[in-house]
Amino acid sequence: MEEPDVEPAVTVVPGADPAAGQLCFAWGPTEVLVCETRFGRREEGGASASRVFVFRKDEDIYIDALRKLFNESHGIFLGLQRSEEKLAGKSRKAHLVQVSKNYRSVIRACMEDMHQAAISARDPALQNQYSTQVPILSAMELIWNLCEILFVEAAAAGPLLLRLLDWVRLHVCDVDNMVREVLSSEDPSKHELFWNVVDAFVLQGRMDEARHLLSKEASANPMSMNMYRILDDLMEKMPVPSLNNMQTLTEMELKWQHWHEECQRYLQNGTFASSSHMESICKILLGDEDAILEKKELMTTWYHFLVTRLLYSHPTVKPMELRFYAQSSMDLFLGRECSPEPLDTILMAAFAFEIHEVIKECSIALSNWWFVAHLTDLLDHCKLLQSHNLYFGSNMREFLLLEYASGLFSHHSLWQLGVSYFDYCPEYGRAYLELHIERIPLNTEQKALKVLRICERRQMQEQVRSICKIMAMKALRNNRLGSALSWSIRAKDSAFATLISDRFLKDYCERGSFSDLDLIDNLGPSMLLSDRLTFLAKYREFHRLYGEEQFSEAARLLLMLLTSHIAPCFFWMTLLTDALPLLEQKEVIFSTEQTYGLMRCLEDLTAGKLDKQKFQDDVETMKVEMLRLALARNLARAIIKEGTLEAS
Amino acid sequence: AHPQVSVINTVDTSHEDMIHDAQMDYYGTRLATCSSDRSVKIFDVRNGGQILIADLRGHEGPVWQVAWAHPMYGNILASCSYDRKVIVWKEENGTWEKTYEYTGHDSSVNSVCWAPHDYGLILACGSSDGAISLLSYTGDGQWEVKKISNAHTIGCNAVSWAPAVVPGSLIEQPSGQKPNYIKRFASGGCDNLVKIWKEEDGQWKEEQKLEAHSDWVRDVAWAPSIGLPTSTIASCSQDGRVFIWTCDDASGNSWSPKLLHKFNDVVWHVSWSITANILAVSGGDNKVTLWKESVDGLWACISDVNKGQGGVSAAVEGQQNEQ
Repeated sequence: MEEPDVEPAVTVVPGADPAAGQLCFAWGPTEVLVCETRFGRREEGGASASRVFVFRKDEDIYIDALRKLFNESHGIFLGLQRSEEKLAGKSRKAHLVQVSKNYRSVIRACMEDMHQAAISARDPALQNQYSTQVPILSAMELIWNLCEILFVEAAAAGPLLLRLLDWVRLHVCDVDNMVREVLSSEDPSKHELFWNVVDAFVLQGRMDEARHLLSKEASANPMSMNMYRILDDLMEKMPVPSLNNMQTLTEMELKWQHWHEECQRYLQNGTFASSSHMESICKILLGDEDAILEKKELMTTWYHFLVTRLLYSHPTVKPMELRFYAQSSMDLFLGRECSPEPLDTILMAAFAFEIHEVIKECSIALSNWWFVAHLTDLLDHCKLLQSHNLYFGSNMREFLLLEYASGLFSHHSLWQLGVSYFDYCPEYGRAYLELHIERIPLNTEQKALKVLRICERRQMQEQVRSICKIMAMKALRNNRLGSALSWSIRAKDSAFATLISDRFLKDYCERGSFSDLDLIDNLGPSMLLSDRLTFLAKYREFHRLYGEEQFSEAARLLLMLLTSHIAPCFFWMTLLTDALPLLEQKEVIFSTEQTYGLMRCLEDLTAGKLDKQKFQDDVETMKVEMLRLALARNLARAIIKEGTLEAS
Repeated sequence: AHPQVSVINTVDTSHEDMIHDAQMDYYGTRLATCSSDRSVKIFDVRNGGQILIADLRGHEGPVWQVAWAHPMYGNILASCSYDRKVIVWKEENGTWEKTYEYTGHDSSVNSVCWAPHDYGLILACGSSDGAISLLSYTGDGQWEVKKISNAHTIGCNAVSWAPAVVPGSLIEQPSGQKPNYIKRFASGGCDNLVKIWKEEDGQWKEEQKLEAHSDWVRDVAWAPSIGLPTSTIASCSQDGRVFIWTCDDASGNSWSPKLLHKFNDVVWHVSWSITANILAVSGGDNKVTLWKESVDGLWACISDVNKGQGGVSAAVEGQQNEQ
């Protein structure tokens, strides 16, 4: 047995009495049952704990506000799986980055909705639920974004820094509020937060905005005009990596070195000595760690600190160097007292390019599988998991997708999304789908048809048959014979079809009419499913022929039905009785042969009856008598008719 | 991850004595419970509710287990009891009634398990008289009985069917023709053994004896199939051990045990989740533990459901062992 990395989750059964015995457990299709019991008590008497607790996991699936997230990401997921083959090289990478961005925008949209929902929610419990989700979604987007930069786009030294800057700017929102406040005031340069805002801009490398604000200060304070001009100039000239290939890294590094030295000179000359604010800005430009750390509150996180440090001390940082800077940044920022939170651990693992660690830590920290399943799938498409360990890598993706999709199946409508996820799990997807789809309650015909279509499209014959049988049984229990028949035909279940046909026939005997004529009359080749069903269909055909006055055809069919022995015993009397109107037509319909045939049947029937039981009542006896008479008369007329014809 | 686990319903069964088993039906819409108060109760538990649908009386002793049959046969429930009887209940026209009663055992019937629906409506029953009976519905209210006497000396405590697997090719059979299934089930008994039974020419034969426990086997559970050629059985015993048995080949000849864990107390029940990826183990130590197999084949405990210190509901952040 392997030792887990973290203690197993403990779920305490609420209200259960620890002293009262053991816990009995059972799996439901989507929930689990727990009840108090005492094993080994083989006699009666004892404590009467009589409650059964129903537990459900995957609660997140039920949060309505997340529905959109699940639905839309499903679309992105499918698009990704299907587009796989066609692209290669650069365009492939661009495509994968776009997919990543799409996922992120879905997360952001969901976050917005959740935020709105939290504000407008009346129910405190709901409001609480929504408010807790917002920071989680925000963290998810933060992590995903970083993974996109480092893994999907795999930004190289140069662009890497620019991307990281964007990342920080996007995710540290506190600054924006402050900025708005200062800019919208009458005289921004007099606002108490003015320098905070300038510093914040500088820390995020937003030079233009910083310079713009500084210019306001300069016009307000002509005394500092000289200092301002120099600082402004330095800020304007700061070399930054380029996104296109306008310059090589070496060129950039050279420029940067010169610029750095220039800043150094100004600082050392005491140019900014009379303004502590501007001096501190200059120190920041020089990448002075202490100066930067002083602005801790403006950065709020160690990863902001990291990016700022990199911007001002090592802008051409290479991806592989990130881990060292990240570690030291976190240590410097958090200091001794703080231990890293789960989010910190995850981000650190990302900076260290330990993809498996990222996935693992996210799995532990998050309460549902959505995030890790989709992110891992994307990373797998980037061929990043395979490079670690081929067997294990692809298993990881599938493992997570299976978990996520299984969770969807516990939901009354989201299960449909789960189906496609299983489709893209080559090893176990099919088996999981088979096991899960059987458990979807078939509450309505519509739902059953939906499930059926899914199974039929995937050639899941066993499940198709099973569903049809279940629906047939349900219909039969509710006396909906037509529906039951349709379902058993679809299930190709001949035994059931026979059962239902018998029911139809029995009902006819009692009531004198058939229900569901449309169905029976249009069976087509399915009537061959069972003998009894064939009989039923043919019997109806007999009725139709009679109705159309095609008497000789009808007669032939009737006789065939009687003599071919596919008619059930209880129906023979009815069939013979049906012959009466044909026998009493003005025209002779049954030939002598046919009449003899009928007579034989009648004798068989009466002989059989005498053996087993007397006729039920006088009506039966009378019918038999009438039949005998009619048959005799017909025979006479037929003989004459046939004799006459032969004579001529 | 550990998804939040929370109670969505607490069903007050009003049983007057200890509950011995509680089972959800196929779709999770109905709950059946049985108790020492001799009754079997059925509740409608949709949408977090609890409506008593039936209070079934017929047993004359504590009822040990209930089992739901596959919905294609209708709403059917089997129960077994200390009173040596097995009763099959059926819902007909909206009411639940006894549809069959089997009294062929000489001692308490401890376990009932329905066979895969592909085989028809067949119920296996294990009894303290050491025998296992197989009740098959043949139509028109008739049941056929086959008995394996002396399946386990002293008594049989548990029975569990193997999932249906069609041998050979999986070409669709023409309608009406039944594919050639090889029916198998596992049983656990007071002889400390787990046995595997196979039907051959209409007769049940002992195919395998699995020895590893040193005390009575309390429960066996054959894992659902996820398409792999391996078969997996979990067994638990009075000796505190839970073993996972696996057999690699289709011929079913070589089973090898892996010890999941040795607990400090008797382990009474083991059961598999529907996709067989989690095994639940209920023991004498007031808790239920959930175990999962990681990608490299090792088993680890992922969750612990217990009664705690005083009934405060809490779910602690857990771990996921997906390495």
